[in-house]
Amino acid sequence: MKKVKMILMSTLVLITALSPAFATGQQEAANSDSVNLVYWSMWNETEPQAMVLKDAIKDFEKMNPGVKIDVQWNGREIRKTLQPALDAGTKIDIWDEDLERIVKTWQSYALSLDDFYGKAYPSTNGKTFTDTVMGSLQTLLRSFSSDGSLYAVPYQPMVVVVFYNKDHFDKAGITSTPRTWDELLQACSKLQAAGYTPITIDDAYIDLPLGMHLNRMYGNPESVEALVKDKTGNLWDAPEVMQTAKDFEALAPFMSPQVATNKWPAGQQEVATDQVSIYLMNGTWLPNEVMGTTGPDFRWGQFPYPAVTGGVNNNGGTYGAQGFQINKNCENPELAFALLAHLTSGKWDKELAAKTYGAPMDTSMPWPSQIEECRPIFESLDSWIPWSGGLAADTDAFPVIKAEYTRLLAGQITADQFVRNVKSALK
Amino acid sequence: MKRDNKMTVIFLTPALLSFCLVFLYPTIRTLFMSFFYVRTVTDNLGKWEFVGIGNYIKLFSSPMFRQSLVNIFNIWFWGGIAVFLVALVFSVILTSGYKGKSFYRAAIYLPNVVSAVAMATMWIQYAFSSKYGLFHSVFTFLGLEKAAAFQWTSPDNQFFAMTLAYCFGMVGYYVLIFMAGIEKIPVDYFEAARLEGANLFKQFTKITMPLMRGVIKSSIVMWSVTSIAFFIWSMMFSPLDPDVGTITPMVYMYNLVFGRNLTPTDPRLLNAGAGAAVGVLMTLMIIGVFGLVNFLIRDKKLQY
Repeated sequence: MKKVKMILMSTLVLITALSPAFATGQQEAANSDSVNLVYWSMWNETEPQAMVLKDAIKDFEKMNPGVKIDVQWNGREIRKTLQPALDAGTKIDIWDEDLERIVKTWQSYALSLDDFYGKAYPSTNGKTFTDTVMGSLQTLLRSFSSDGSLYAVPYQPMVVVVFYNKDHFDKAGITSTPRTWDELLQACSKLQAAGYTPITIDDAYIDLPLGMHLNRMYGNPESVEALVKDKTGNLWDAPEVMQTAKDFEALAPFMSPQVATNKWPAGQQEVATDQVSIYLMNGTWLPNEVMGTTGPDFRWGQFPYPAVTGGVNNNGGTYGAQGFQINKNCENPELAFALLAHLTSGKWDKELAAKTYGAPMDTSMPWPSQIEECRPIFESLDSWIPWSGGLAADTDAFPVIKAEYTRLLAGQITADQFVRNVKSALK
Repeated sequence: MKRDNKMTVIFLTPALLSFCLVFLYPTIRTLFMSFFYVRTVTDNLGKWEFVGIGNYIKLFSSPMFRQSLVNIFNIWFWGGIAVFLVALVFSVILTSGYKGKSFYRAAIYLPNVVSAVAMATMWIQYAFSSKYGLFHSVFTFLGLEKAAAFQWTSPDNQFFAMTLAYCFGMVGYYVLIFMAGIEKIPVDYFEAARLEGANLFKQFTKITMPLMRGVIKSSIVMWSVTSIAFFIWSMMFSPLDPDVGTITPMVYMYNLVFGRNLTPTDPRLLNAGAGAAVGVLMTLMIIGVFGLVNFLIRDKKLQY
């Protein structure tokens, strides 16, 4: 009798412990008659991007009866949760994140999409999907992968540019945007004469101008990476480095006095609240981020990072996108790609761009007025420069360089001191 | 009552199994993993590459990791001294019979109720801002121009600013613990001391402190555990890439295991094995502190 009691008790404890597992099993069994796709999203449910995607997915379900898309709104946590889930065999058909990250990190889990790109979809107006997507992003996608294939579908393209307040430029009598470093300094001086603080940036983006400047000087990110990784410090004696430091030394008097203390978003708020005229470098998302402060009527303008004296490549730029990937184990890849085409071209691409004041993916769509000057910049770029131009290639050197550069830009140290400090820190 | 061993076994087994599963197994696996090159946490054993103490050597040859150790020591040591001193002063004042004790206690404890993310945002944007910040306004009002112009969040000062903000939030917690400790000491001791003519300082050094050994000891251990795992404040002060002034071992580990936040990390730089080594080192630090505290503050017979 005692034995029976014990067995009964043990079974009871086990059943209690395992009951959630049973519940999930039953739920899955009930849904087996419809086609299910599971999408793990990089957005939080309340973000504008998620709102548009939700409506677009509902529309897709209406157009495809019997299809059900289960969305899990992960937010940026997806970077940590996705891979363990994929390794554990969780059913995830589609996921998204930064285009470069997904291809470089999760290519081995993703389906090659070259065949799907060659077909037309209801939202592509009779064109193939390839003809709809920006060519530069397709090239970029192929360059990220190890075998030159397309492992993702890009959306929400972005480009890193210099932002400015058109009203300030008008009032200061600046008629054309600066194309060279000297013209930038002249524009800053005019803005200062007109009573404005000319230029600012935040800690989050402060490495971008330095990376871009060095890329203009050297012509390629590899040289910048070598510079950062140089443990002898000798490469820092190069004239390109000193010229770069001198250029920023000349810009320092025009910087906002609080630039060294600007914790994001303090600097972009300086521009949004009309106190500063130029934001040195930021992504296409800037107008959307400060929309709450500026309202939609703020007259944003953009120009590419200026050409530098002695520069060898003045037409490179940092650009990219978010991207979707399809699991290589997905049971319905055609359907999954049809969904991605539905989300990233035609009506919903336009809607996403409009609601987020961002750039559309579809080449036939107009760009929102706040960032319309970004479009020709995007189209004129002839080479791709990674985020911060290769400065982040060495995780030990990067923070030191960033700190010294902040001091230089804030006018706390001279160009000579900058080079000397970085050299001694890297050794 | 008759002791029924079988029932004990039945009811303890699930708890023991879960303990082994969620605590013991990851600990042993982490220790084991720290001797291997493992690219991502979920790589299976077949992909692990034995490197001996290679991960540890790599860590100690990295200037940023060494900087993270310096930072964490400064937060632990100087921050600890500041928090404990302020908390002791507050708890002694609040337990010496002033009116409105519970109000002040609640007010001092309040920062602990607010999430660290909200607290950090408040400090960064509203206290330290060099344009609208509280310090800027107060010092300007007082006519202290130099103090008002102090650049709290610049690369030179952000470590100090971050530690100050963190310690501010931690004081309330220790005030509560110290107050409970002081209140447990029988009032008779203080009364007798007062009759003998001892002042507040004498009472504090001769009665309160000696009888609080146990409380202080466990508080030091708790402080060590929380400050060695210093993470959220660093991430709030430099959310994209760690700075020289904000890097801590936990942030260093996070970057090794999950990569950076904005710049996609070169996958070759990811190394969960080295991340595990950081975890092991952090555990050793806590054990070291625990041993040191036990050695320095011996248990006395009488304490509260």
